[in-house]
Amino acid sequence: MPFLLDGLWMTVKISLFTIFFGSLLGVVVGMLRTLDYAVISYPLGAFIHALRGAPFLIHLYLVYFMLPLTGISWLQLEAFPAAVIALSLYTSTYVAEIVRSAIQAVPRGQSEAARSTGMTALQSMWFVVLPQAVKLMIPPMGGVYVIIIKGTSIVSVIGITELVRAGEHATQRHPKEMMMIYGLTALLYFAYCYPVLRLARWAETKFGSVRLPS
Amino acid sequence: MDWILDFYNYRVVAQYLPEFARGLGSTAWISLFALGISLSVGTIVAIMRMSSNPLLWRFAAAYIQAIRSTPLLIQIYLIYFTLPALPLLGRRLDELEGGIIALGLNAGAYMSEIIRAGIESISRGQIEGAMSVGMNYVKRMRYVVLPQAFARVAPPLLGQTAVLIKDSSLVSFIGVFELFGAGLVILNERLMPNEGFLTVAVCYLFIYTVMLWLTVYAQRHFGGSGD
Repeated sequence: MPFLLDGLWMTVKISLFTIFFGSLLGVVVGMLRTLDYAVISYPLGAFIHALRGAPFLIHLYLVYFMLPLTGISWLQLEAFPAAVIALSLYTSTYVAEIVRSAIQAVPRGQSEAARSTGMTALQSMWFVVLPQAVKLMIPPMGGVYVIIIKGTSIVSVIGITELVRAGEHATQRHPKEMMMIYGLTALLYFAYCYPVLRLARWAETKFGSVRLPS
Repeated sequence: MDWILDFYNYRVVAQYLPEFARGLGSTAWISLFALGISLSVGTIVAIMRMSSNPLLWRFAAAYIQAIRSTPLLIQIYLIYFTLPALPLLGRRLDELEGGIIALGLNAGAYMSEIIRAGIESISRGQIEGAMSVGMNYVKRMRYVVLPQAFARVAPPLLGQTAVLIKDSSLVSFIGVFELFGAGLVILNERLMPNEGFLTVAVCYLFIYTVMLWLTVYAQRHFGGSGD
């Protein structure tokens, strides 16, 4: 059991790092895509589709195994940063779409009114559009955070001892208790994810939600 | 041209093409079977979820929550490693069956939420019309409600299917050979991760693009996603 708790701590650590970096990157990408400059938005659209088109497992292997082969020294990543980077990139695509549709859901009149009072584009974004869009972003973000938490289970393949790997070790030591150990692992994930889903649902009833383009 | 061979040795990839073809085929089969399971489970769970019987809808809600809050990997492990011999089968599930069932049950929870949204979007008049021509509950569902509901939610169902196909890469963890497994073969035999995983990534990207086209087609064909 303490073994599993160590794993849980690792899972929490990875997911928190990823939530932070993934959201940051996603917000930037999403905001850039609302600018409607074809030069920016097409490559970013391609970036999003390329990342979404393959399973996360592939990104993880590419970041962990392929980047070191480029021979650039700062790309020789340890397992932990590789996991966080791969998961953050993957997450950012979801966040970017949420941010974009939330910003686009704010009526045009708002930004036009802001611009007509003499605000710059940045000011109108920061003071008028974003405060309204943020409320729309919160509910779907809950879903993305749960995807991140569940995604951390996959990083066990590159040798990080998170919850699933800790469970595997435990089953090797006590093969008879396999059902108990994996059941307990599932319960720990549930205990971590369920409140997040609950919170997202609560936020949805409070703030309403945006429809995502599929 | 040497740097290309250094970074991505296409000759090795050509040599392993049969492996990739086999992997692609087996990913397609696994996804197809899992899709069948997930749509059946999804429909049943969606109907249970809307039932007025508390036992039924509570069970369905618990199933959906349990699946959504735990990672697919642990679900695959639970089904493959810990299920004892099944009474009807007389033996334990092998890795292919375990993987497909886990994938199907996992996607079923997400599908059921989509299907439920579809069923709930069917107007009351349709059901009343069906009642007034004397259809019972099963016939109403079978001939009136479900066909319209599925047509409306076809685009999100296809999107979820794309997720299912990507998720099927996880069954390689319990030793099933599929597309991702083909990449692992090159990694293990030649120590060439680029050749293996870039090729696999391109294959997945191809599948994803096809799914994206299908979704756009469905959206046009069925006129929007039901609003």
